[in-house]
Amino acid sequence: MIDAAVEFSGVSKRYTHFTLDRIDLKLPTGCIMGFVGANGAGKSTTLRILMGLVHQDAGSVKVLGHAMPEQQATAKRDIGFLSEDMRLYGSATLAWHMGFVRSIYPHWDSKYAEDLLRRFDLKCEQKIKGMSHGQRVKAALLLALARRPRLLVLDEPTTGLDPIARREVLGELMAVLADEERTVLFSSHNTLEVEQISDQITFIDRGRILESSDKETFLDRWRRLRLVLPPNTKLPGLPGVVNVDGSGRLPVVTTNRFEPTMVSACTEAGVAVQAVDVMTLEEIFVARVQSQREGQAL
Amino acid sequence: MNIAMVSRLICKDWYLNRVGILASLFAGVVTLGMVAAMHRSQLALILGVIVVVTILIGMGAMVMISAANERRQQTLPFVMTLPISYREYTTAKIVGGMLIFLVLWVALVADIVATILLTPGFPHGLIPFVVIMAVEILMSTCLITAVSVTTEAHGWTVASAQVGALSLNVIGWSIVRLPEIGGSMKSTTVQWGGTATTLVAAELATIVFMLLITFFVQAHKKDFI
Amino acid sequence: MQTSIVISQTDGRPMYLQIMEQIRQRVGTGEWRPGEQIPSIRALAITLQVSVITVKRAYLELEREGVIVTQHGKGSIVAPDPHLGPRLYREEFEEHLRQVSRIAALLGMTEEEIVEKLRDAALQLETEES
Repeated sequence: MIDAAVEFSGVSKRYTHFTLDRIDLKLPTGCIMGFVGANGAGKSTTLRILMGLVHQDAGSVKVLGHAMPEQQATAKRDIGFLSEDMRLYGSATLAWHMGFVRSIYPHWDSKYAEDLLRRFDLKCEQKIKGMSHGQRVKAALLLALARRPRLLVLDEPTTGLDPIARREVLGELMAVLADEERTVLFSSHNTLEVEQISDQITFIDRGRILESSDKETFLDRWRRLRLVLPPNTKLPGLPGVVNVDGSGRLPVVTTNRFEPTMVSACTEAGVAVQAVDVMTLEEIFVARVQSQREGQAL
Repeated sequence: MNIAMVSRLICKDWYLNRVGILASLFAGVVTLGMVAAMHRSQLALILGVIVVVTILIGMGAMVMISAANERRQQTLPFVMTLPISYREYTTAKIVGGMLIFLVLWVALVADIVATILLTPGFPHGLIPFVVIMAVEILMSTCLITAVSVTTEAHGWTVASAQVGALSLNVIGWSIVRLPEIGGSMKSTTVQWGGTATTLVAAELATIVFMLLITFFVQAHKKDFI
Repeated sequence: MQTSIVISQTDGRPMYLQIMEQIRQRVGTGEWRPGEQIPSIRALAITLQVSVITVKRAYLELEREGVIVTQHGKGSIVAPDPHLGPRLYREEFEEHLRQVSRIAALLGMTEEEIVEKLRDAALQLETEES
């Protein structure tokens, strides 16, 4: 059993208007990782390098133990991929696609495929060009899932889907993990669903990985403290302060290294702690990106 | 090289372009019949040859531009995330495109040569010219395929088809001026000279060269999407 | 055993807390009996469409509180303590009382006022139930 399904080490890729800069990434087997970033941050590029669709300029990439892009043909035997800009052949039917993929992948599970057809409410005799966007996404997902891949790589799988379809897709993603040997990597800018289903979360912005760690740690370490400063008191030095908002006497401190002792430290310094707010992944992401960009601007 | 995968990819391309392929094969067969039926008239033969050439290039173009189509239709990620390497993808596109073309090409060239040889009164001296031009057509087709696979752009592929058609005319008329070829066209016997051999060899070498360049370019591509 | 647990996305609290609360409630009402097997971490994660890590954390905290017991390799069960149910309910009651006193203090209520309010509330409940 391989320990890490995906390993990026110092991966860089230069384009005219965008650079992917020394990406390090480690995705443990059996884990579901959410990859969060703004549009143009480099999520798609990273995933394409992972699949060998784009060759990196520097750095090493290992997927399921295979070096990419050299061993991509072997690696791709166990990978299912779906991206937002990927299309199936419009003039062919879903049944044709299923037959085509089945002929290539020995692990194709026909029963599971039939089951998915039913649950996704798809008609296999229908031509792809006659399907709605949501149906096409589900069709492509079916083709990726039914081959029983060890690694599932999804680039914005739920973007543009209606709420019902989104639920169906997320449900299937989770079900993949019933087998502990399977791993899922999905990128999204829907922080709500990332927060809900991910084990690990990675932030990327402007071609750089900002953070990558397990979800609960993330949500634990970030807090917003609403403080009340008595007159002529300065803000006590707190660890990991990312941002300070609010007015002079009512600062709102965002920290990424929260500990309960901070509260007592504040009260001892005469500063009243009005509230300690938990932050949603969205708020954490925005705060992290803002502080990164300001740091870069300096 | 995973032969099984390559053949699956070729079959896929043939299936997806089946209508165009069948139509062209049908038209080609009809022309075969026409050429055979009109062997008495040299003019008709030449006309028939022109029609055939157009069909050949047109039909080949359908499968050949499939590489450009993949990019335009955004199906490249679907194909490239199958367990294949670039070499296999390139091979499938080239072989898939050229194979159909070759089938018809061989049949038609054989038919034309046979018609010339078997029809009484037909100058057999035409044969070297016919063979050289036939290989030239093969060369043009190869050019279109190579350009389609490497550039994956419709614009360039169409341009290369136009270059191919133009060069057919240019080369055709230039070769006729050569004394060894043009002079012997009216003779009753086949006069295969050194010039003819050189020309055919040069054409075949160009074909091999184009294929090598294609594979080289593809192997060094760093962005497939 | 059917999982009746439902996660709300609009609930501001972290998901693992929601899961913990719902499990505690089920144990408290006796719906999940002492010694009974509960869904595995992975199975619950998939059913609720939340990450394994979240469920794992909830289970860890519940184990620390003594509500469940995780047997190595055999999944998790409700703690076999027969007094667990009533105890959890009592703990919840105490927690609510603490909150009441805290808010009452903020409002500046006296002890008598608090006791009177409690009586009114109990009376109200009786009238509603009959």
